[in-house]
Amino acid sequence: MITREEIIQKTNEALKKEFEFKEEQLIPTAKLKDDLGLDSLDAVDMVVVLEQQFGVTLRQGYDLRTVVTLNDLYNFIETLAHAHSK
Amino acid sequence: MERLRTGFNTVFIGGAALLWLFFSTLLAAPFLWLWRDKTGNRVRKFVFIQSRGIMALVRAASRGMCVSATSRPSGSCVIVANHASAVDLYTVSLFGFRNVVYITKGWVFRLPFFRYVMNEAGYIDAEKTSPQQMLTLCRQAVEHGCDIVFFPQGSRKNPQARFKSGAFYLAGQLNLPVVPIAIVGTQRMLPAGTFRIRPARIVLKEFPAVQPADYPGELGPLHMAQAVKKQIMEFVDKTREQEQE
Repeated sequence: MITREEIIQKTNEALKKEFEFKEEQLIPTAKLKDDLGLDSLDAVDMVVVLEQQFGVTLRQGYDLRTVVTLNDLYNFIETLAHAHSK
Repeated sequence: MERLRTGFNTVFIGGAALLWLFFSTLLAAPFLWLWRDKTGNRVRKFVFIQSRGIMALVRAASRGMCVSATSRPSGSCVIVANHASAVDLYTVSLFGFRNVVYITKGWVFRLPFFRYVMNEAGYIDAEKTSPQQMLTLCRQAVEHGCDIVFFPQGSRKNPQARFKSGAFYLAGQLNLPVVPIAIVGTQRMLPAGTFRIRPARIVLKEFPAVQPADYPGELGPLHMAQAVKKQIMEFVDKTREQEQE
């Protein structure tokens, strides 16, 4: 089963590669919209990137309103990844 | 000498630019209002003339200007350029794009002087408009023969900022080619946060159009944005290095 540390590492790697973020920007409390500047189209791209990275479907039940910070995103992926592995 | 030229540029060229924008709009406004058309094409052609006037002043303030255009497919296109200065808005006119719709940030629409022209020309506020509304408005603009101009970095404050995928997503949806334009030197001339106009060499380069079909898949627009940014920024960095040598 994938650990939380692995989720954080893989998520950050994907965000750095595809969205040109720097390591220091990717703090758990960073807000996706206000701090990282991700707009609604970026959010769609981010979902596709993370789906490819983790091999899970995020779009089913994916609601942008519930994922505000990077930490929310880690939690969201962790829940889905664990549900997927059961 | 540089300080003297900067002072001259700021007072006389900057002043002339503001007077040109103000009085040309003041003179044209009654005619544009009397002969207004629903498409906004007349206002956009007026903006083209205004832009050419501004670029003539930019040329006078510069240490030389080099414009390199290339042949492009007929019909409308999505124009994308790097963005580091207020001057960048007007550079598009030098490539012969006469009828363009700009996608801009909301604060520009709140400027007391510019907002009349921007609203009449049908420019689009990127912050107020949802992606679906923007698609509809851009489709209408294309039907009126317009090209769509994006600065996908979204701000002048970080010239190395990533290119957001919105422009490329739109190009894919409307099946329009993307024309990348590299702008070098305007950042040195008039960077964000200052009114001082320093003399600088301006280099403008248009690259061959990129087709959305070359970037298939769900991440096509994102990868197209990355490829176009790489192409533009490599040229910008290389030109800057050559200027410094």
